[in-house]
Amino acid sequence: MMLKVPTLNEFYESLYLKVLVNIVIGNSKSTVYVEMLNSSGVVSSSKEVFDAPYLTPEINEYINSFTKESPYFYISMLDSSISQGAIPTCDKQDISNFYDITTSEYKCYDDKWIYYTNKSDIYEIQRAYEKIGIDYMFSPFVILANFFDDKINTYLAMFILVEDDSLSLSVFDTSKLLYAEHLDMNIETESEELLIDVGLDDDIELDEDDDNSIDLDDIDALDDIDELDDFGDIADLDSIEEINEFSETQDVEEELLEQAEEEDIEDDSTGFNEDYQRFSLIQSSVNRYYKSEKFESKFLENVYIADSVGVSSDLKKYLEEEMFLNVYIRHVELASEVCKVAKMELL
Amino acid sequence: MKYSYIKPRKKSIFTSEIQLLIVFFGITIFMLFLTYFFLVFKDYRFTQDKIDMIAQRENADISIVDMEKKITYIEKQVILSESIFTKNTVLKDSIANMFDLVPQRITLSEAKLLENGLVLYGIAPNKDVYDFMLQAPLRSIFHRTYSSFYPADNGWIRFVSTNYVDKEVEVVEEEMLLEDAEMIDEDATDYEEVEYEN
Repeated sequence: MMLKVPTLNEFYESLYLKVLVNIVIGNSKSTVYVEMLNSSGVVSSSKEVFDAPYLTPEINEYINSFTKESPYFYISMLDSSISQGAIPTCDKQDISNFYDITTSEYKCYDDKWIYYTNKSDIYEIQRAYEKIGIDYMFSPFVILANFFDDKINTYLAMFILVEDDSLSLSVFDTSKLLYAEHLDMNIETESEELLIDVGLDDDIELDEDDDNSIDLDDIDALDDIDELDDFGDIADLDSIEEINEFSETQDVEEELLEQAEEEDIEDDSTGFNEDYQRFSLIQSSVNRYYKSEKFESKFLENVYIADSVGVSSDLKKYLEEEMFLNVYIRHVELASEVCKVAKMELL
Repeated sequence: MKYSYIKPRKKSIFTSEIQLLIVFFGITIFMLFLTYFFLVFKDYRFTQDKIDMIAQRENADISIVDMEKKITYIEKQVILSESIFTKNTVLKDSIANMFDLVPQRITLSEAKLLENGLVLYGIAPNKDVYDFMLQAPLRSIFHRTYSSFYPADNGWIRFVSTNYVDKEVEVVEEEMLLEDAEMIDEDATDYEEVEYEN
């Protein structure tokens, strides 16, 4: 039997605690989650939300109070870049068919798909957080893939990570990525305002008159879905009529989990507007997925939502009623998920 | 770097504080070692000096003993020389006295000064002159006086007078002289026999 002799560095590491600092930047706040680990596991953890989406002296002081405990501290951050996404291939020649990644930093996930982000955005974040320094930067798609690890490998479904000001949407068919898109809620404000008005007033059909690309997309999407109704009869019946009548495609286990979660979590909805905005973004994205010839389009029946902000039941209602999807919402603590990935990175 | 876009910064336990601490303790330890080696060197020098001093003292002791011996010897020589000088003075006086003693009418041909006696050879006009003029004072000086006569060619008489003094006081002095003779194998001056031609 061979005994592994620890190197000097490993020996030093064993003497100190490892401090994992995880920062998630939201629309108007920063969440900092800190975990202190030793060889046997988590020693302590702490979470603090600051009312600023940038590095303030308070955040700096808070982080320093932990990082000064040990030289082995790792600061992780969730990438909030607008121009990020994922591509359903790892083949370098195929990548250009989907996206021009010459100005992007990208990595391959399990030799199956690529996630990318803008290089200059990384530099920008690194410069903004120069005082504390950044060790790891993770894509929300990686967080999503790890969070729904149990579902991705076995189902064909859409997986959405709902963040404060963005959505990371992906479609997996038994661990194979079919489609992915990062949707930022701040960009399409104007068009959304129109959408919201319409949504409140009357039928979506009326939007045909507006010469707005997004609105047109939405209508198309709805039309497409109507056309596709023939394929999804069972799902439609299940979702519209009686949920008790379980279909094969429904994830009963997840529903039960969801119900339990709903009881626990208060309905701290961020408002009807935001949820509708999210819905419309999802709708238009799904439409692009069905329409685009670049992606292998498979009919979606289930959607799994990792909710980090506490969406209202409206979003679920919209998705179920307008898109005839089975919606499962799972609450996610984004910062601690980032921490989990950081731990995987350290091993 | 499995999932992260960027590589983590290199972590080291040697933070700036630790580095400062190491430098500080390093300098302190270096100075302590410097002091230690300085003291060790000084101690070595001191030990060497001590050994040298002991050797010097031993040499000095040896030379003191030697010098003391020499001093003793010189003192003895002084005593000896003094005694010789005294003896010589005494001898000189004795000789002067002897010549004063001898009257005009008696002629000495040979005189032997012995350690404890005097032997006189000479010629006198007759025995009476000898008896009255010379033997009488000799008798008063010496304890024992022996005289013998035989006739000379011109009708006078030749005499041999042997006179002795019985010594008691000078025994100690003799012993010392003998000791001296042992110490130095020098040419012992034969001052016992002084020949004097008249």
